[in-house]
Amino acid sequence: MEISTEKSLWYLFIEGDLNAFSSLFKHFYPSLYNYGLKISGNTAITEDTLQSFFVYLHENRHSIGKVSNVKSYLFISYRRALLKGLTKERKYTSYDDSTIEESNFTLSIEELSTRQEVFKLKSSVLIKLLNSLSAREREAIYLKYYSCLNTKEISEVMDITYQSVLNTLQKAFTKLRSNTQTNIIQNIITTN
Amino acid sequence: MKNNDPHFLDVLINDSSFINWCKKSNQNDIQYWDSWISKNTDKIETVELAKAIILGIRFKETTLPNTKVELELQKTLALINTSKAPKKTFNLKKLVPYSIAASIVLVLGLLITLQQYKSNSTIIHKTAFGEIINLSLPDGTSVILNGNSSISYNQENSRDINLTGEAYFKVKPMPAKKVKFWVTTSDLKVEVYGTQFHVNTREEKTDVVLDEGSIHLVLDNGITKEMSPGELISFSKSTKNITHKKVNLEEHYSFWRDGTYIFNNQTLKEVMKNMEQTYGIQVSFDNKELESKLISGGIPNQNLKICLAAIEKSADIKIIKNGNSIHIKSINNLNSSK
Repeated sequence: MEISTEKSLWYLFIEGDLNAFSSLFKHFYPSLYNYGLKISGNTAITEDTLQSFFVYLHENRHSIGKVSNVKSYLFISYRRALLKGLTKERKYTSYDDSTIEESNFTLSIEELSTRQEVFKLKSSVLIKLLNSLSAREREAIYLKYYSCLNTKEISEVMDITYQSVLNTLQKAFTKLRSNTQTNIIQNIITTN
Repeated sequence: MKNNDPHFLDVLINDSSFINWCKKSNQNDIQYWDSWISKNTDKIETVELAKAIILGIRFKETTLPNTKVELELQKTLALINTSKAPKKTFNLKKLVPYSIAASIVLVLGLLITLQQYKSNSTIIHKTAFGEIINLSLPDGTSVILNGNSSISYNQENSRDINLTGEAYFKVKPMPAKKVKFWVTTSDLKVEVYGTQFHVNTREEKTDVVLDEGSIHLVLDNGITKEMSPGELISFSKSTKNITHKKVNLEEHYSFWRDGTYIFNNQTLKEVMKNMEQTYGIQVSFDNKELESKLISGGIPNQNLKICLAAIEKSADIKIIKNGNSIHIKSINNLNSSK
């Protein structure tokens, strides 16, 4: 969906147009669902929170301030709503933000495309490397390449500065690159 | 100089020429950066890192099945509709002008239907330019009626329908009684048991696109045709032209129902033809060249103003609106004439 289309649909949605609401829903539901599933690791919680999130959006559309970027706005507010929902869900167990993400922001081999330009590695090796990164690094990578958000949008969604997104990406890719190189060298040694 | 300079890294990953080099997509950029790197070998670490970040990790595109999204949407819409009632008092002042307008429409509508009812008990649903309505017929069939269209049927039998304009039908099957459902246009008659299909009678012909199930067409010249899902049949009574082909259901045949027109490399002429029919406007072009400009993307179709603004932007043209006539100019012409 083009940015101008998103904006005009958003405008119509605020005006109360249910067709515009439906279009936005259909367009963003899959990516928000996948993102929510990554954070919560639970389909039922993801579906429930996503449904109440959209209902909440519709009911409170008049009190939503000016939205300059529809996609990142939806990612930010849904992430917040989901984390809130998760806290409620796990009221009785000790909970903090990081433990949940740490355990659940895991990427799987099925999600990788077979074509990987930079890392000429088997997907199984790459996925191991990716999952050895910290949860925040994984989330940044996920948002950048899976959800196609840019650096500024990622900083808004993860509520960190532009510079820390850049640092996170830099750290993650430095790790991946150094691991890749050792791996390739190892491969050469073992095959010869 | 450090091995990795974060500021320089940021510059690189936002530089379109550098991105071209990474993706090997522009010969000039490739030459430029190749030679730049050979002169700045101390920056090689940062360059390689920037390249890794730009090319990144490739994920598969996984999306949820459409049926799942649709199901969730219906659930959500149901919740919204039930929670609507108490909210109404909240914005009463804002609603007053709308409610006056709505009641006038309602009264007029009632008068019209009443009159129809008295005369021949035919029920008519008609949409204004740019309006899309969702109808539920007495037998449980749902119809989405596009702008400037109408359906009519006898009150006794809502499974025999006349259509002008454009509509989408989701016919409720009645397997027990094997009751058929008919849609009649000026060119042909569609005969089904229970299925989903799209009918467009604009431009002096009737297009039928089948989504699901199977249907049986009786053309005005007596020929009958069977259709399978994903097929389009187009027939014109006046020219006797028949087209029968496979189409991509994801394309513009269906998207108007969501309030968006999807154009996939269509010419401005075709796009404006569509606008003429939905909004009842007259379109003229400054020159032939403009007619063949290509447009891709989604355009919200329920508000002419937004619609035209979106077209202006995506085709890079100037649209001048004067009442019901629309004139299309290229931006360059505008500048030179001033």
